[in-house]
Amino acid sequence: MSSKKELFKYILSRLALFPIMLWIISSLVFILLRVAPGDPVDAILGTRANELARESLRIKLGLDKPLINQYIEYLNQLIHGNLGISLNTQEPVKIIISKALPASLELAIFSILIASIVGYLIGFLGAIKPEGKIDFWGRIFGIGTYALPPFWAAMLIQIIFAVLLGWFPIGGRLPPGAIPPSPITGFLILDSILNKNIEIIFSAIKHLILPSITLGILLSGIFSRSLRLNLEEVLKKKYIEAAKSRGINDSRILVKHALPNTLLPILTITGLTVSSLIGGALLIEITFSWPGIALGLQEAINQRDYPVVQGIVVIISSLVVMVSVGIDIAIAYIDPRVSY
Amino acid sequence: MLKLNYIKNILKASSIILLVFQLSCVQYKKRENIIVASAGKIESLDPAQANTLRTLQILSALGDTLYKINNKGDLLPSLAKELPKVSENGLLIDIPLKENISFHDGSIFNAEAMAFSLNRFMKIGTLNYLLNDKIEDIEVKGEFLIRIKLKKPSSSLKSLLTSVNLTPVSPNSYSNYKDSFNNKSFIGTGPYFLESFNSSQQIIKPFNKYWGKKPLNKGIDFINYSNSSTLFGAIKTKEVDVLISNSIDDMQRLTLNNMVNKNQLKSGEGDPIEIGYITFKSNKLPLENKTIREALSYTIDRELISQQVSFGTREPLRSIVPPHLHNNEFSPWPKYNPNMARAILKKEGYCQTDILSIPLTFRSNVPADKLLALTWKDQIKRDLSDCIEITLNGIESTTVYKQLSEGAFEAVVLDWTGAYPDPEAYLTPLLSCNEIHKNTCIKGEAVFSGSFWGDNQVKELLDKSEKLEGESRLKNLIKVEQLAAEGSAYLPIWLVNPKAWSLKDISEPEFSSNGLIILKNLKRD
Repeated sequence: MSSKKELFKYILSRLALFPIMLWIISSLVFILLRVAPGDPVDAILGTRANELARESLRIKLGLDKPLINQYIEYLNQLIHGNLGISLNTQEPVKIIISKALPASLELAIFSILIASIVGYLIGFLGAIKPEGKIDFWGRIFGIGTYALPPFWAAMLIQIIFAVLLGWFPIGGRLPPGAIPPSPITGFLILDSILNKNIEIIFSAIKHLILPSITLGILLSGIFSRSLRLNLEEVLKKKYIEAAKSRGINDSRILVKHALPNTLLPILTITGLTVSSLIGGALLIEITFSWPGIALGLQEAINQRDYPVVQGIVVIISSLVVMVSVGIDIAIAYIDPRVSY
Repeated sequence: MLKLNYIKNILKASSIILLVFQLSCVQYKKRENIIVASAGKIESLDPAQANTLRTLQILSALGDTLYKINNKGDLLPSLAKELPKVSENGLLIDIPLKENISFHDGSIFNAEAMAFSLNRFMKIGTLNYLLNDKIEDIEVKGEFLIRIKLKKPSSSLKSLLTSVNLTPVSPNSYSNYKDSFNNKSFIGTGPYFLESFNSSQQIIKPFNKYWGKKPLNKGIDFINYSNSSTLFGAIKTKEVDVLISNSIDDMQRLTLNNMVNKNQLKSGEGDPIEIGYITFKSNKLPLENKTIREALSYTIDRELISQQVSFGTREPLRSIVPPHLHNNEFSPWPKYNPNMARAILKKEGYCQTDILSIPLTFRSNVPADKLLALTWKDQIKRDLSDCIEITLNGIESTTVYKQLSEGAFEAVVLDWTGAYPDPEAYLTPLLSCNEIHKNTCIKGEAVFSGSFWGDNQVKELLDKSEKLEGESRLKNLIKVEQLAAEGSAYLPIWLVNPKAWSLKDISEPEFSSNGLIILKNLKRD
């Protein structure tokens, strides 16, 4: 069987597992939410409501039905692509997610971009001259950013650049009073470009800088260390020595021979980071009041808004699975030695 | 030489980067609207669903209530033409309404509209039990006269009519929302109309046809940030004009107050409406023993706790009703006296060999509660370690509320804000009980508050107060509070004033008696 066929078979098997995995995840979330103490009725009415009021709301929200009936109804809705309606706001969960997810993705994309540029550049420069100054400070940077608590780093950056220096806004996606462009994609910068709203484009970018730099810098440490270590290992391989003995210059060896062979682990790490960021970066979103999916999930959990929590988890899980399948395909495409 | 060039290049590059940053900074235009910031999203602007301070704050600007209560506690007509006329048997309340008032959609405000709004609230309102327990029916007696039929006499109903939740909405615009919430819009009679709404920002503009005193500003933008540090930073960097105190940490409160003292900010403060207290579960030993609860009420050093937790911004409290609501100083709970506590506990057999162990629960997501619990624990360790030991247990607030009525907590730190400025709005939710068995409340508010403390005399006095008015009603409620202090099922700790800070070019925020900022009085100086 050819490797292409094998890969195709692998992809099919991963896709076939997708609904099973979603069923397991959604069932787990359903059960865990019901097992957890707390009640959406309490969150909506407060604890002082009388039994009659509580019971009528329970009936209205469908929480009076047996758990198994609620579960079957939930699965039935899920199969038909319906994520339900928020218990708290009566808004469709799809709408809530479509508002919050682009904000998280926008932040994730810019953060990964910053992390890749900064991290790989530092890692690469360090690997060119091992034990040099750049390598030494690069290592300190890598370990330091990895060890920094995200909320602390975010608050520090916020205090320095927003409060003390006043270079950037303190939080949010737009300045107070600004009217966002009519949503087309949900991505604020993209929508502003499509609406040709120059002022909002600049405002949106300005609001994105601090949270994305914070997140990007925090992630860049892992990127720089992984590139540095992998590159160091590759540079010790015999085929590199062979290339050197043939008189090929150092930069060509690095770019043409060493770098492509470090791509696999780098791609895996980048993929894992992207996957983790799809669900939002809660501490960054809270610190910068970024209205993303993680913040939405946290609020929904606090309010015991079951459909919103379930909907967000299902969507995030689906995206994570899709990204990881995509990474697998990319790895198989890049490295023909990989077999399935 | 090479090094010098290198440094020059770095400086050039840095200058270009800084320039780009500055160019990319869209200069803020001179703001027309006043930007008011607070924590917490607004998911719905339906008065039938509103239950957060932030939502009530906006609704108070978009709508009007039938009555208002002034700072002296007097009822004043707002949409009502005059004070309510109560029938001799106390079961009928006639309310004449003002004429020539229109809703934001142009329709006329009249008795039909008021009855529609009250009925709608009673049908779908999340807090509808507040009315449904009292009101039998609402009748339209004339174009501008409504009659409320009560199930039993209720003097507290008049105060309830000041609640922002009962602000009238236009029947025209809400015809499709008789049985459901209208989350994204609001059509009322208030000084402002809603220009735009999303969960993180709401913009309101002055309503030209408003019947009363017109707003002094050109509009208000409400924005929310998710944490105290961002809110604090937002006013410090002048990104917002007014900051509401509901979620500001005590340390940042102190800094803001210092900025006010240095004339860098202005501030306004309302009458205190939030109380912080500890509930003792009174239906299980050892706290079933009233004497032990009494001993505990001597153990708390409120002044120390107020200083340690809030730098003195939270006022020590020895009553469960904010004292100003009684029109005079009344603090029935005892002062801090560890020797007295030790003497009582010794009589009960503690302090020699036995140490009284109290598990104290606090809401882990409320920083002030955690600090209170830690400080009290350390204070007990310092003063009464031979008699009492406190163990701490932090639980997320949603779980605490759920398990409170299940009797899960021996002692728990909580807070309460009355729905309207009246002693009854504090006493009933903590003390009322429908079914009492041997000083244990089986059914009623005392169960929901987690104390399970029932007292027949309190029950009688609370029922009696519904039939009383004025000074005699207040005296009656003072008796209730005195009995509550003797029962020691609650331990009041502190009082929190609603506060707001504004930039120097904005007027000082003013508060209504229900703890909400009077937004129409805000103006740029």
